[in-house]
Amino acid sequence: MQRISVTARLNRSTLQFEEAAYARLASYLDEAARTLAGNPDQAEILADLEQAIADKCSGRMPSSGPGVVTLAELEPALEEIGSVQVPGAAPAPDQPARPAARPLQQVSEGALISGVCQGLARYFGLDVTLVRVVAVLLLFVSGGAMILVYLILMLLLPFAPREPGSERIRTIPAKSRQFAGFVRSKLRAVAG
Amino acid sequence: MDPKLAPIRKGLLEFLVLKIVGARSVYVPDILRRLAGTEFATQEGTLYPLLSKLRREDLVQYEWQESDAGPPRKYYRLTETGRAQLAALDDYWNRINRTVSDIGT
Repeated sequence: MQRISVTARLNRSTLQFEEAAYARLASYLDEAARTLAGNPDQAEILADLEQAIADKCSGRMPSSGPGVVTLAELEPALEEIGSVQVPGAAPAPDQPARPAARPLQQVSEGALISGVCQGLARYFGLDVTLVRVVAVLLLFVSGGAMILVYLILMLLLPFAPREPGSERIRTIPAKSRQFAGFVRSKLRAVAG
Repeated sequence: MDPKLAPIRKGLLEFLVLKIVGARSVYVPDILRRLAGTEFATQEGTLYPLLSKLRREDLVQYEWQESDAGPPRKYYRLTETGRAQLAALDDYWNRINRTVSDIGT
């Protein structure tokens, strides 16, 4: 026994596709979805494309009887529609693969105190737990001078901008941000 | 096509689509037909993402209209913002056009 055709729902139209045509259709739509990944209108554009494919295929079908779309009918339709081009997206092959180096900042989200250790970890590409353990060890070794170092860094380092979609900063990191802001404004007042 | 010309064509496509949509309410095959045979001939794969972007920027909007054959169609037209944008583009286009023809002669 052989499967002869696949029924596919393309947006508002339902069509029968030959096995090979169906595979080609699926790969076209997959490719389109990949190109549009992250586009807020992805679903809408895909629906529009599906409808365009369905319209073109039904236009090519012989009007007699319930037809099955073959590769010979699908291929010119896809050819006409063309591959998906994202507007304004110039192909950027010379983009560096590595994300741009970030400045040394404190990271308030998920911080234990102010986010200095997180900032150092991010800057040097280290595990944050490792940085924290080293900081605590230095605290003991230095006989408490580490507290001063931490405070200075906390007052000097800028705060990293909030990541979109991250939780609101609360409790200790929020307080330490307030404190740093307060001290900075006082220092500015004294200096100016 | 000369790779030096491609960015010009690409940059102007949005302007031309706004012009076409601004003239009367159209659906995608109308736009494609209008551009076919010109330097700006394009395809659904380019046009649908562009129209979605323009809609998101509140320059165009669409409404569904029943058709005699097949499913309802999306008819696009300009919004107020789109009309203002088109006027600004038109004006800018005329000015740079003048500059281009004046310079170096």
